Amino acid sequence: MILTLQTPRPLSRLPRFLPFSTNASITLNQSQPATSTSPSPPHSQILSTRHSLLSRQFSAADLLRSHLHRLNLIEPHLRSFLHLPDPADLLAQADSLDRRIAAGEDVGPLAGVLVAVKDNLCTSDMPSTGGSRILEGYRPPFDATAVKRAKELGAIVVGKTNLDEFGMGSTTEGSAYQVTANPWDLSRVPGGSSGGSAAAVSARQCVVSLGSDTGGSVRQPASFCGVVGLKPTYGRVSRFGLMAYASSLDTVGCFGSSVADAGILLHAIAGHDRFDATSSNQDVPNFLSHFVSASSFESKPLKGLRVGLIRETIGDGVDSGVISAIHSAASHFEELGCSVNEVSLPSFSLGLPAYYILASSESSSNLSRYDGIRYGNQVYADELDSLYGSSRTNGFGAEVKMRILMGTYALSAGYYDAYYKRAQQVRTIIRNSFKEALSQNDILISPAAPSAAYKIGEKKNDPLAMYAGDIMTVNVNLAGLPALVLPCGCVEGGTAGLPIGLQMIGAAFGEEELLRVGHIFEQTLENCSFVPPIVAEDIAS
Amino acid sequence: MGSVGAMVKGASYSYAVFCGSFLGSPRLGFNIHNNKKKLLKFRSFSSKNTCCSLQPPDVSRLAKTAQISLTPNEVEEFAPKIQQVIDWFGQLQDVDLQSVEPSIRADTENNLRENAPETFEHRDAMIGAVPSYEKPYIKVPRVLSMD
Repeated sequence: MILTLQTPRPLSRLPRFLPFSTNASITLNQSQPATSTSPSPPHSQILSTRHSLLSRQFSAADLLRSHLHRLNLIEPHLRSFLHLPDPADLLAQADSLDRRIAAGEDVGPLAGVLVAVKDNLCTSDMPSTGGSRILEGYRPPFDATAVKRAKELGAIVVGKTNLDEFGMGSTTEGSAYQVTANPWDLSRVPGGSSGGSAAAVSARQCVVSLGSDTGGSVRQPASFCGVVGLKPTYGRVSRFGLMAYASSLDTVGCFGSSVADAGILLHAIAGHDRFDATSSNQDVPNFLSHFVSASSFESKPLKGLRVGLIRETIGDGVDSGVISAIHSAASHFEELGCSVNEVSLPSFSLGLPAYYILASSESSSNLSRYDGIRYGNQVYADELDSLYGSSRTNGFGAEVKMRILMGTYALSAGYYDAYYKRAQQVRTIIRNSFKEALSQNDILISPAAPSAAYKIGEKKNDPLAMYAGDIMTVNVNLAGLPALVLPCGCVEGGTAGLPIGLQMIGAAFGEEELLRVGHIFEQTLENCSFVPPIVAEDIAS
Repeated sequence: MGSVGAMVKGASYSYAVFCGSFLGSPRLGFNIHNNKKKLLKFRSFSSKNTCCSLQPPDVSRLAKTAQISLTPNEVEEFAPKIQQVIDWFGQLQDVDLQSVEPSIRADTENNLRENAPETFEHRDAMIGAVPSYEKPYIKVPRVLSMD
């Protein structure tokens, strides 16, 4: 349900705030045109924004107007957003920030940064629907902790993004409202369930965005949209205010157009929260110290790093273009001084059914709260049971209903041992196999998905075909480990090719190492500026 | 992007080692219709299934348990898809999981807070969202019925 947008104000003196054509000392490409001929990828949009704002080169209000202009231009084609606030509210925030900067006050590390938020994260000043009709129009009474922390550090929430209903799906076709398009090819899916958040960053409608990852819902869309997606360790970021799908698997994740941006956002939202009993007390290291310019790298900056390529992820059923891109990434790692070896995780293929058993079961329990009694949309009936039944059937989409039913089955009396318990045992095996592999390797790598983005409608009616695409990602959720996806190559398709993401998996609470390595990998990748054609055209015009 | 690089130099492989043995790793999967990929092979479970005591899913009954009123059309539409997925779940029956402890979740610390009640600061807003409230009760239709 997108609000009717006001026409953007006339843009008199509009500086073009594009990640690859801005200033000065922070970014690497100074005045390069934003096409694939740019010699090196952007350093950090957040850091260059900060530099521009503090040095008064641009104002937060100008930056906002420029982004909103592009956002509104592209949005009818992309449909990334379910809700966009009144631009006047956003401008008021930007103006207030400009005044504080002018007065010499300290501003937070995300000051003026435009953040889009997945609609299953509660925001008290905007509707939060979870992509579902059952919460249509619902305004939560509180902000999710991740949102609250980003706002406290100066971020401006530019809107709520589209998703598969309650996080269940891999394409956004499961949204009750609209299907988001992939900025690289509007006839293809952006991935899911955080498809809107990935598309918004990819199309430069915002700078960074928040998503959630339960079985790959940040990493797969990051791969499909050619952006960086970061899934933290389970417990690294508070889940308070994230509409629960599978409580033992859910995490809040970050999207950015560079590793540095995803890392800076993670740093802002991570850390213990007393409202989430599963959130960790472990300190959050200062990731920012690693996001230095490539010119300061040594010649073999990753010398000695042991990289393990998961053999089961580059075999049967994976697109040859994807395998090729991953092999190229492996070569790149070797150029940087790493030793790359193949690692086998024999339990790998069991993770997918185990994941779906656990996720369906937990979701059947978590979604029982949507009964229309205390919040959400109610279909009135004379009897309570009928009220429940009607409200829920009216409010939930088909995929959600099916998963609830499957979960109900798996948890039925007498069936717990056969399904849920066995899935938990498989989880133990997978955790142990990762632990073993990570004792002999510093990071593990794999594709993030078996293919590039596919066409809208292609997998819609075949649940198992859609589930199959999660094979690269679910095991990481079962083990609770952190993973970073960054674009590493392209395959044929669309007008300018389709991006492929490399997944890097680290040890528990090893985000610092992942970000350090990812940043170096990204900054040394030649001839790669992952900007989709729809954005490049906008710049040219 | 560069050519396909040689992956393994000096061929050192590391294998994940873990306790328990598998009765072969099930090469599970199914055909992905559109592009015929054999990423996962589907195994249908016939009477050779070790777990014959599990009844197949009765979608109408499950819907009642889950408090979702499905139309007959929906039951018809969902039943084969649910059956297919439940069958696919069944492959875990073949795995030797003796002496493997179930994991509730990934490792987390014991972070219990003090058992001291406090009022949530947004309580009023939460009450405000209730459609039918007559202080201090949330009003609902009648609970008991004849069936």
